[in-house]
Amino acid sequence: MPRDMQAEDPATAPDEALLARYAAGDPAAARALTLRLVPRALGYAARMLGDRAEAEDVVQEAMLRLWRAAPGWRAGEAQVSTWLYRVVTNLCTDRLRHRKRRPAAALDEAPEVADGARGAEAGLIEADRMAALQAALDALPDRQRQAVILRHIEGFTNPEIAEVMDIGIEAVESLTARAKRALTAILAGRREELGYGEEN
Amino acid sequence: MARKTDEMQGREGLEDLFAAMREERVPPSDALMARVLADAMAHQPRPDPQPALKPGQGAAAEAGQGLWRRLAGLFGGAGALAGMGTAAVAGLFIGFVQPVGLGVLEEAVLGTPLETVELIPSVETLFAGN
Repeated sequence: MPRDMQAEDPATAPDEALLARYAAGDPAAARALTLRLVPRALGYAARMLGDRAEAEDVVQEAMLRLWRAAPGWRAGEAQVSTWLYRVVTNLCTDRLRHRKRRPAAALDEAPEVADGARGAEAGLIEADRMAALQAALDALPDRQRQAVILRHIEGFTNPEIAEVMDIGIEAVESLTARAKRALTAILAGRREELGYGEEN
Repeated sequence: MARKTDEMQGREGLEDLFAAMREERVPPSDALMARVLADAMAHQPRPDPQPALKPGQGAAAEAGQGLWRRLAGLFGGAGALAGMGTAAVAGLFIGFVQPVGLGVLEEAVLGTPLETVELIPSVETLFAGN
């Protein structure tokens, strides 16, 4: 392996450089890419699918496609992370479509926000707030959910989202705006439970 | 303080929820990391000691390079292969041309024309000094 490849610290090397090192046979690059990319991809897939086990399967499959693509990767053509998110998005979309074909769990079976005396008196603990947001996200159309998660949870810019979703920037803006309006409406009846109902 | 509208409260609340979800980690299980790494090792190309082909070099060039590499390996490296090639060309040259000029060289060095050359000395020569 060339000496300049060995000199660069895997923890700080860019994704693309690590992928080139992986393709050149460096096992440390595989470990570094796995540690860096899997947690991010898993978080995204879990929020898209609302199911941890399915999200893990999706991430393993997406990473497998990355390993296979590494030898033919053309430098500068795409960012590794954007490429990976795109694959995860497509795999999640496939799974969501498949779910809809099955006798699906109704929306009202989605995790409910805790209610009753505990919610009224002490407010919801963080896990419950997250469950409420996840349930609201699950209720969105797939494309709106993808756009809003990428923008507001994963922190992507609109041009990056456009690349991941293979749509125009205006379409991204429209999807995220509609998603936020829908989320606000879904969560409107639960503002006190979610801890922002009282006047500031 | 003026009351915030429902819409404003909703928007702010949503931003708070987004922020909380951004902070919430979804740590991968050890089993997932192990599966991903196993896939990585299974599909990792073997290290190639030769420099990569430049863009534009096709499969034929690659096949040719492979043949030369294998031949060089057979004869002990590219240097040995080149030496053998030079010797073969020199032998062909001497076989085709008539080396008449060698007679001049032989007379200049030895003083007389040389009919035969004894490349392997006889036993008598070895014991001649005793």
